[in-house]
Amino acid sequence: MNSMTPKLVVEGLTHYYPDEYTGESVHALEDINLELYEGELVSVVGPSGCGKSTLLNILAGLLPYKIGTASVDGNVIHGPGPDRGVVFQEHAILPWRTVAKNIGHGLEIRKVPQAEREKRVQEFIDLVGLTGFEDKFPHELSGGMKQRCQVARTLCSDPVVMLMDEPFAAVDAQTRITLQEELNRIAMATHKTILFITHSVEEAAFLADRCLVFSARPGRLKEIVEIGIPREQRNWTNMNDNAIFIAARDRILASVREEVSIAVEE
Amino acid sequence: MDRLWWHFQQLLKIDAMNLVILVIVVLIGWTIISETIPNPARYLPSPLAVSLSSVDMLVKGLLPSYYSDTLVRLIIGSSIGLAAGIPFGLLLGLNKTVADMFHPMMNFFQSVSGIAIFPIVVIWWGNSDTTVLAVILYTSFFPIAFNVLSGVREIPIRYVNAARTMGASKYQIMKDVLFPGAMPHIATGSRLSIGFAWRAVIAGEMLAGRQGLGWMIFTGQDADRTAEVILGMVMIGLTWIILDHYLLRPIEADTIERWGLVQR
Repeated sequence: MNSMTPKLVVEGLTHYYPDEYTGESVHALEDINLELYEGELVSVVGPSGCGKSTLLNILAGLLPYKIGTASVDGNVIHGPGPDRGVVFQEHAILPWRTVAKNIGHGLEIRKVPQAEREKRVQEFIDLVGLTGFEDKFPHELSGGMKQRCQVARTLCSDPVVMLMDEPFAAVDAQTRITLQEELNRIAMATHKTILFITHSVEEAAFLADRCLVFSARPGRLKEIVEIGIPREQRNWTNMNDNAIFIAARDRILASVREEVSIAVEE
Repeated sequence: MDRLWWHFQQLLKIDAMNLVILVIVVLIGWTIISETIPNPARYLPSPLAVSLSSVDMLVKGLLPSYYSDTLVRLIIGSSIGLAAGIPFGLLLGLNKTVADMFHPMMNFFQSVSGIAIFPIVVIWWGNSDTTVLAVILYTSFFPIAFNVLSGVREIPIRYVNAARTMGASKYQIMKDVLFPGAMPHIATGSRLSIGFAWRAVIAGEMLAGRQGLGWMIFTGQDADRTAEVILGMVMIGLTWIILDHYLLRPIEADTIERWGLVQR
């Protein structure tokens, strides 16, 4: 498989779901087409309710879809699978498992022998900077550490694609900046293919090779902004002076704001 | 295990002196009342009379025999009740629709107490050991099953989803997410179940006329041996206090606090 074969392909994905309270059909996504190539980090931004979380849930296999196709490595998505790892917004690591046990859970599910499991778990504990916290329970960790633990858990299963659903939205601003830099470092170290959902334009521009801007509901792929900054140069000390970053951020921001005003008028 | 031991020690620390004083006061008050009323042997035998009766029952071997009968019934009945109720609650909890469907029914049955189903069970099996066991089983099954089901329903769906995205099977979700997630409810439910079973076993022995502490109380009243009636009541209460305080509560406290599910 050459590097130009996409890892994740979405074609003509349209989705409706019944509203939880009224039962009315909500048009969440309209004709989404996208391709993620190996080692690429693609972010998705858009106004609230634009269907970006719906998209992620469909790709995770947690939400069945009818119209269009989505596939990973050529395999059409029908339900969850270990080829896609998900980092949820918050509190998705199991409170009754230690950090090490949480991170090794995916390997445990796949019955990887203990010796190999422990070796891999340690590798990812070290990668995300949780060394020394192996035997702590989640309630003993800060919000940022919980999310590091989740990222390590996802990476440890070695998925083809890592799907991230606003993973840093619930942590404080200082921690968020650190986590963004950490994720950039991890993306560089692992060459993982990552789809990153966020509502923060800054975050999207900082992390992504390409940023997909979604329109107000029904979510359509409105614009793709390329951000050609090498990963080594991405850190918050000099990003705010980086012309490419500033241009990309402003462009994304303008595009999103247009959609937000449309959403508000409705 | 260490933590369990710690809880056990904490419980031992309850102010022993206060307890002793309280017991002495109650015993003195009881003695005074018993000395002032007419015919205390029938209406309220003194603590001394009750003690003498217990010595008598011990010597005859009746008390140990009745006591072990009752305990064995409790242990067998509530073990089966728990062993069946926990997996049942978990299985129902696997599917949200099924869980929602069964929840009111389970709530219904856990509210119909053991004593209320006694007559129908007697109609089915007469005055037999089967009847007593059936009622204990019933009273211990529904509280635990209902609690486990409630516990499973309260587990955040994101925990289940996280396991699903890692490729977990239904069985693995049950083992790794639902069972530990419902653990605090399992502990609380077990305590409730055993408490209900303890009431049921006494009532069962009275109504179905079998050996045991309940039987002892019932026949004591019939034969005008009030000391035996009081002795039986004291044994019932003391057994529960010991069971609850030194076994069930430490287990409950340990499981709930351990994972930080309840913040101290």
